[in-house]
Amino acid sequence: MITSYEWSGSETGGRRYSPFVINVEHKKPWHTLTGRQHFFVQHDWMAELGEQLPVYRPPLNVIGHYGDEHLHEDGRAEVTVRYLTPHSKWSIHSNYQDNKYMLDLSRGGPAIWMSTADAERIGVRDNEWVEAYNRNGVVAARAVVTHRMPEGTVYMYHAQDRTVNVPRTEIGGRRGGMHNSLTRLLLKPTHLAGGHAQLTYAFNYYGPTGNQRDEVTVIRRRSQRVEY
Amino acid sequence: MPRGQSTVGRVMAQVAMVMNLDKCIGCHTCSVTCKQTWTNRTGVEYAWFNNVESKPGIGYPRRYEDQEKWKGGWTLDRRGRLVLRSGGRVRRLLSLFSNPDLPVIEDYYEPVTYDYDNLVGAPAGPDLPVARPRSVLTGRPADITWGANWEDGLGGAPEHAGGDPNLSGEWAEKVRFEFEQTFLFHLPRLCEHCLNPACVSACPSGAMYKRVEDGIVLVDQDRCRGWRMCVTACPYKKVYVNHATGKAEKCTFCFPRIEAGQPTVCSETCVGRLRYLGLLLYDADRVGEAAATPDEQDLLDAQRGVFLDPRDPEVIAAARASGIPEDWLEAARRSPVYDLVARYKVALPLHPEYRTLPMVWYVPPLSPVLDAVTVAGGDQEDPDHVFAAVTRLRIPLEYLASLFTAGDPDVVGGVLMKLTALRSYMRAVSLGEEGNEAALGAVGLDAAEARDLHRLLAVAKYADRYVVPAAHKEDAAALSALESGCPVESAGAPAGGGVALGMPTLRRTPSEGPA
Ligand code: SF4
Ligand code: SF4
Repeated sequence: MITSYEWSGSETGGRRYSPFVINVEHKKPWHTLTGRQHFFVQHDWMAELGEQLPVYRPPLNVIGHYGDEHLHEDGRAEVTVRYLTPHSKWSIHSNYQDNKYMLDLSRGGPAIWMSTADAERIGVRDNEWVEAYNRNGVVAARAVVTHRMPEGTVYMYHAQDRTVNVPRTEIGGRRGGMHNSLTRLLLKPTHLAGGHAQLTYAFNYYGPTGNQRDEVTVIRRRSQRVEY
Repeated sequence: MPRGQSTVGRVMAQVAMVMNLDKCIGCHTCSVTCKQTWTNRTGVEYAWFNNVESKPGIGYPRRYEDQEKWKGGWTLDRRGRLVLRSGGRVRRLLSLFSNPDLPVIEDYYEPVTYDYDNLVGAPAGPDLPVARPRSVLTGRPADITWGANWEDGLGGAPEHAGGDPNLSGEWAEKVRFEFEQTFLFHLPRLCEHCLNPACVSACPSGAMYKRVEDGIVLVDQDRCRGWRMCVTACPYKKVYVNHATGKAEKCTFCFPRIEAGQPTVCSETCVGRLRYLGLLLYDADRVGEAAATPDEQDLLDAQRGVFLDPRDPEVIAAARASGIPEDWLEAARRSPVYDLVARYKVALPLHPEYRTLPMVWYVPPLSPVLDAVTVAGGDQEDPDHVFAAVTRLRIPLEYLASLFTAGDPDVVGGVLMKLTALRSYMRAVSLGEEGNEAALGAVGLDAAEARDLHRLLAVAKYADRYVVPAAHKEDAAALSALESGCPVESAGAPAGGGVALGMPTLRRTPSEGPA
């Protein structure tokens, strides 16, 4: 198992997972200039780009910069929405998500949660198959339509593997993707900041922050006949 | 419960449960560990002795709370006598061979498995192999269209949740399934191990029984003839038919664990640590009278009136006379369930109007009200704002009332105010301020009681949550005499073999679907 300083934990002796044990219990200073937890980064580039403290940055307008995928069809409704991939309450990362019992207690396969308004816009009812695509990939999933989602934002929970109930997609005809098929980590200038003790990156994530969890995707209703 | 001159009747003890709904995160750990323990078998794939519902929602099986349709529980006849809603003996006998009030598999869901073999056995091809769903009933590829927890997190609510039987009455028309007006909480459910169990009364074979020692309701698999009257009669739809053996099965309250002084599996594994187990002493001679209380909204007090104060010397003497052992009396005095149900009165029964006198009670959730306070621009920490919300924001309150108090919003409101006052008092105390004891007094608590209740609800240590006395060895013969076999069955296991949990044979072979 690869542990990074980011989430060094301990489960020894049957204890519940507790993060940062190496720092809190073994008193190893945090990997910062002060040795304490802090949010502030004193790096010139960060200062110049206004990112010395955590700030919100909207997702890059990829369609605006690079154009769309040219997949529109006349008379076929689509919505362009924010695409988030949060962790769920039913799993630990990909663990248990596709455990048989948890499948029985959910929609039994890949699902995208969307608002009533967005679903109406593309003529989709609860549990119908939809396809979500952008320049990174394509996903076929069932829609979970709920008023708990705000209009304009959809969720696909992190991390449903591609082994259970994943059909072929209409776009391309290949096996559909999973939640990460629509995401991509984009390098931005602050990712290249170095020469600074605090900016040491571990395997898995590059840069002061992962920015791929806030994406944009197009969604439309697909044929309800799915093939595996 | 001091009751003036009247003498205490036959004293019985029951292991009962309380759940603190504010803490339920809807993780379904309880459902999964229960399933793994009890219904991990052919014939009961669709059965979840413990399930967790998202409310508002129609639940599992669909709309089970609609007793006009399903005819569960008890009602009063014209002369005020208690009768099963599913009809008297004659009506039930006439419907023995075709019972119209029985949910069918679609009301639960069609259980599926997946072609897991394909993941390792698929021929080489351009695409990753996948396991597609297949019905375990027919063995054919299946579309998944409903499940035991379809409405999780309000999924599909705009389309379905309007059918929630608790959304009736004028106020319900104001419930909108819109983002700004969302309210959601989780409701974990299991068999209520009722004091007046409709399932037991409906069984024509005498196969269902309520154990004298601890009140657990079980099915005798040897006597069950598969009439399914219990399924109709149970208003909570917590008796399931094993479709392989044709017999009834239900939550056992994990009696082998309870007998050993351990909490049930659902309680032990509850992530929110919101379940409480403890004894309630009750007056067995007054159960029938309480269940027949004319006004539905008086049933809550009537049921509380049946519970006996384990510290009352008169009760203790009567309990001894009824043969309740000393360590059980001691456990009854330490019972967290007694404290929440009878002493602090913050726990309420689920649907008292079904008249089965359920024994799994709930501390109603404050969070839907708090959310509403925030939406209305109020401050969750200010008890005045919350009090105002409790009285003014009818939607969540009326909804909770239809679940827990036969529709009386004042009782639920009272409990929520008590919880709010407790919260703000303890918050002040833990910040080193003087708490407002007058506000506490207004909801009937003093400072010592507030600390005690806070310890029980918020700190909630394992030893405080579960006070389960072990069964007595001298009762062992009686306990096992009642159980002629395991209250659940395994398909295809040999009958009468030397298996500890006796397993009768199948009536038909389960479908040969892929594993
Ligand atoms: S909840 Fe349990 S005890 Fe009560 S009627 Fe239903 S099956 Fe019987
Ligand atoms: S384990 Fe506890 S917190 Fe989780 S769903 Fe069950 S009752 Fe709720």
